Amino acid sequence: MALSAALWRGIAGIALFFALWEAASLVKLPFLRFVPPPHVVLENVVQTIQTPAYWSAVYISAKRVAIGYVIGVALGVPIGLAFGVSRVFRDTFFPVFETLRPIPPLAWVPLSILFWPSIELTVVSIIFLGSFFTVVINVLGGVETLDARYLRAAVSMGATPWQVFRKVIVPATSPSIFTGAAIAMGLTWEIVVAAEMVSSIGSGQTGLGAMMWQAYVGGVIPLIITAMISIGLAGLVFSALIWQIGAYATRWRRVV
Amino acid sequence: MTPASRPFLRSIRSPRPYLLLLGFAIVLAAWHLVTAVLDVPMFRKITPPAVVLKEWFNPEPFFGVSVFTSLYYSHIAYSVYRAYTAFALAVLFGVPLGILIGWNRTFRELTFPLVETLRPIPPLSWVPLAILMLPGTEPPVIFVTFIAAFFATVLNTVLGVRSIDPSYFRAAECLGFARRDILVHVVIPGAMPHVFIGLQIAMGLSWVALVAGEMIAGKRGLGYMIYDAYSMVQIPTIFMGMLTLGLLGFFSSALVRYLGRRLMAWRSF
Repeated sequence: MALSAALWRGIAGIALFFALWEAASLVKLPFLRFVPPPHVVLENVVQTIQTPAYWSAVYISAKRVAIGYVIGVALGVPIGLAFGVSRVFRDTFFPVFETLRPIPPLAWVPLSILFWPSIELTVVSIIFLGSFFTVVINVLGGVETLDARYLRAAVSMGATPWQVFRKVIVPATSPSIFTGAAIAMGLTWEIVVAAEMVSSIGSGQTGLGAMMWQAYVGGVIPLIITAMISIGLAGLVFSALIWQIGAYATRWRRVV
Repeated sequence: MTPASRPFLRSIRSPRPYLLLLGFAIVLAAWHLVTAVLDVPMFRKITPPAVVLKEWFNPEPFFGVSVFTSLYYSHIAYSVYRAYTAFALAVLFGVPLGILIGWNRTFRELTFPLVETLRPIPPLSWVPLAILMLPGTEPPVIFVTFIAAFFATVLNTVLGVRSIDPSYFRAAECLGFARRDILVHVVIPGAMPHVFIGLQIAMGLSWVALVAGEMIAGKRGLGYMIYDAYSMVQIPTIFMGMLTLGLLGFFSSALVRYLGRRLMAWRSF
């Protein structure tokens, strides 16, 4: 029963928010002058999801996120592990990495536009940067928190360096790998919107970010909110997917 | 004296400082090689590192911005002002809200689902709506930055309060603590480590959002400087802006870490 009370309160909280929003539009609060009430937004959501243009925008953004993210993880995991296991590699390149890491991904956009021949590659590379740095830092953190006794135990029982890496370091780090991957996924949807807004205005294929910007320029405000909701949902679905994969891949961790 | 007792000698004898320099040297050499020596088509538009440095420290900069011009510092001042205002607002609203959500069950059940519904909407996608809702050029940029920092702060504060051992609450109640005393002596110090993890994340995220906000909506600020330099094809200035942002982001995070250490002197890091 306690759970259902919590559920009802949760619904009540969300309902209250929408009621306040509706009421605020009704009494025409000045800062909501341009913001449509929830029922108009809902109407727009229903209309928009029936158009093929919407689904093509979702597909284009999702494709960019997927490509940039997969490359980011594919490069980030080995480099993170290399930072963790090789002292020389780490002492040499980690300071450079730490110098570049605080540069916000979006600050790379202008340079990427100049560097890459197409908008498509620009957006993908920005997504790559965002996920790469996050994954590397989390993987390295995972290797660092590894209990040294496991390493000593493996070595004293005659494990080769490769066996130590394969049987001790990688499994012990895998939870951090998936945590990093999930955090990175959350970040990528954020980045794709902004990258599309900044770079593909007017050119390239229309993703959700560009769709939102066009809605803003064209003054179709309900569509802006529809795009915001879509981006939020898409991020949620993609992150849930990564968490699921992570939970499956590290299922030995599940507490019985 | 053994070498180990002299930290300076020890650090000079270890390979670390040399490897650090080697790492930077390799990256700079590669950058120089692809832009200035080899004629790689992809890098044709990118300036070599020496040109960037020369422009950065040029008393009479070619593109109008260097460490000797007041414009550079005005961009920095605008960005810092926006990032820190948004961050301060996020702390001001986020930490109390997180403590309330974490500590009071009814309040948590009422508000947390709503927070979790709004949280997945990326801060940067608030930009168009923020421009429409808020007047002027400063408030939208600060709002977007605030949103980014706010959710990270709230979420980690809630986590912090929830991670406090319940026996501390019971002990405090047994000893006759009033709710106020529990807040001051149990909840706040207990949540502090997580709060500061949250603040570090929030600081990083606010710089990410700030740059996007400035690029799209801003007048002045480093994000605007980069975008402006891009539209005028002033590539050294783009690099200057990026590296300055990196430095500012790095020092901001270090500042939060330092404050955390000072406030939680009872914990050994």
